[in-house]
Amino acid sequence: MSILYDEGQQAIATESRRALEARVSKDDLLPLLDARGQYHAGFWTMAKEQGWTALALPEAFGGLALGLVELGLIAHQAGRTLSGAPFLTSSFGAAKAIELYGSEDQKARWLPGLASGQTIGAIAFASGPDALPAKPSVTWRAGQVTGTVPGVSGGLFADVAIILAQDGGTPALLVVDLAGVERRAVDSFDNSRCIADLLFADASAEALVTADAAFAAALHILALQAVVTAHEQTGGAEALMEIARDYAVTRKAFGQPIGAFQSIKHRIAELYGLVELARANAIHAAAREGKDDFITAAAAARLSATEAYDTAARDCVQIHGGIGVTWEIGLHLHMRRARTLALEQGSSFFWEDVLVDRLAGVSA
Amino acid sequence: MTDLEAWRARATAWCESMVAEFGKAARKGLSVEEDLALGRRYQRAKFDAGFAGINWPTEYGGQGLGHIEKISFEAEEMKHGFPNVYFGISLGMPVPVLMQFGSDRAFVKERVVKALKGEEIWCQLFSEPSGGTDLAGLRTRAEPDGNGWKINGQKVWTSWAQYSDYGVIVVRTDPTVPKHKGLTYFWVDMKAPGVTVRPIRLAGGDSHVNEVFFDDVKIGDDHRMSPVGGGFAVAMTTLMIERYVATDSAGFGPHLDLFVELAKEVKLNGRPAIEDGRIRQQIARNHAMRAGLDSINMRARLMMQAGMTPGPEGSLNKLIAVRSRQKLSELALDLKGTGAFAFDEHASPKDDWASSWINAPTGRIAGGSDETLLNTIAERILGLPQDHRPDKGIPFNQIPA
Repeated sequence: MSILYDEGQQAIATESRRALEARVSKDDLLPLLDARGQYHAGFWTMAKEQGWTALALPEAFGGLALGLVELGLIAHQAGRTLSGAPFLTSSFGAAKAIELYGSEDQKARWLPGLASGQTIGAIAFASGPDALPAKPSVTWRAGQVTGTVPGVSGGLFADVAIILAQDGGTPALLVVDLAGVERRAVDSFDNSRCIADLLFADASAEALVTADAAFAAALHILALQAVVTAHEQTGGAEALMEIARDYAVTRKAFGQPIGAFQSIKHRIAELYGLVELARANAIHAAAREGKDDFITAAAAARLSATEAYDTAARDCVQIHGGIGVTWEIGLHLHMRRARTLALEQGSSFFWEDVLVDRLAGVSA
Repeated sequence: MTDLEAWRARATAWCESMVAEFGKAARKGLSVEEDLALGRRYQRAKFDAGFAGINWPTEYGGQGLGHIEKISFEAEEMKHGFPNVYFGISLGMPVPVLMQFGSDRAFVKERVVKALKGEEIWCQLFSEPSGGTDLAGLRTRAEPDGNGWKINGQKVWTSWAQYSDYGVIVVRTDPTVPKHKGLTYFWVDMKAPGVTVRPIRLAGGDSHVNEVFFDDVKIGDDHRMSPVGGGFAVAMTTLMIERYVATDSAGFGPHLDLFVELAKEVKLNGRPAIEDGRIRQQIARNHAMRAGLDSINMRARLMMQAGMTPGPEGSLNKLIAVRSRQKLSELALDLKGTGAFAFDEHASPKDDWASSWINAPTGRIAGGSDETLLNTIAERILGLPQDHRPDKGIPFNQIPA
């Protein structure tokens, strides 16, 4: 069942948009590309002040007990403004893993900090093209983990990570305190994501889920994050569609606005289609949290959102012509973010397989 | 159970009870004339059961309910392949326009009720050889003749004209003013002297569309449904009526489940095709696209239920669903390889890939071509400028041919 946003939800969208547009600008974001290991601190401060970090977590641990629908609304607005820190999604994913699979002690230890934003969380499952490696490279033995997880978004500043490891071939979903764990910063094309390799050497780790159930749990966490990211991608694509439209209406060539040429106007109309499909799928998936078809809905949302944002980035630059490829205009910020978000939480290949396995009845 | 759920349950039960008499199996092997006769009986059964004219006023034989009840019924009805296609245009556009703009109300009422019962069929005479998308460029003319009018010219692509009793028509009554301003809207008796209907066989083999010729066809001024010169505005109201029809994210082609089943049966390189990455990607992409359309459609229904006007994104369905159906159908034929050659001209595009493929181009052209829909989205929704129109503001008879 799809949903219509109620008044409270619409207020969240309006208020977060107002706050973000007032406080996040291209001029803040461009320098972050040249700096390794810096995120948009103003965004993260705002996320904490506005309670966005607490939004979808339980009240008992300082959360606001709202859900994926509301967090999605924030993420959509964050996507529109290219908001700078990756933790909105990664801290949420880490907190959900602990909330859903952790002990009372683990929840008490980590959730209040994640809800307030004082603690930053990361999800470290992927290894290159494997979003959920069947044989995790990190080994877990006697309460300690050893091995490397490459390319973890937010990894440079995270205080706690949720990882997949194995104990003699038996998989496990673990929570790891990252204090003292070595991180190797990755110079990326989207540096404010603060991506790092995590190098574990006998770090203490506690189990959340062991044996094969660990994969299902990890997939569920990835799906929750994918729905948040799908909203963020949709927001980015929507902003680009509007930027392209505004440019096509004002820029003139051959004596008329370029938007009067069908090669331009149809391109933008096609973007409208992609954005609306992505939006519809994202809203639907958020509303399916806790239902049997949640993973299927999340996969569909993820696929449409990735297609929408990448296509919008490509086409918006193309419509701008030469000015579109300059550093200063900043459209490359969206190109970079579109690709980054396409790779975080599993690529389209991964979600295509997840989706088709379910449609074909291969897996439950 | 809400009223709407109860309504839908009743619609579901009624549709299921009609399957034996009117379903796909009952229609198999019938000639078009036999199928039309069956369709008329089906339409009558719908009328008697209270499922005809669901959102039309009760004084015209309708049910006086909302758009949401109509769409809910249509969604159920669509599942069964009933012979309702002959009445789709008639009850979808010309008859509602007649109901809104017809001047002789007693006549209107009689026509509307007969159309609802399937006893009479109406067609819509808009497109012409000189243009379909450019409706206002039409050339068929009506000249004053005594107290009425005399029509000469030709229409084309007129669905079901060969079975129609009446039609609504837009004609040029003044060639000396710019093209949109010289049009007038009338109804005509399709059996009148001077009206000639000639079916056109389409690529898929069927002949539901026609050429219609008008040679000195005389009508009274009481046939006029718009002010003289005000016909374009009445033609445009059709678009508003069409907003509230059930949509199909499969683009009126086969459901994706059928493709998945095919991919499980067929082997590519010795492995089930469902394990082939190329096939998997297409399934995933098509599912995501259709799921998005389904969610858009569902949201539109919820908005209608809440008394709101659905957003403009509903206009995406035809554009996106039909063209992707065309590609998916090609891919399904690829999967079957030489096994796909066997072709049944009478198979339904809803469950046969070859039929879906050969008929898909019609879907991308009729009722607004893909390009026209993209223009509409760009101009009406996004506020982009109109294309360059050299004929704008120029009297029709001075536009270079």
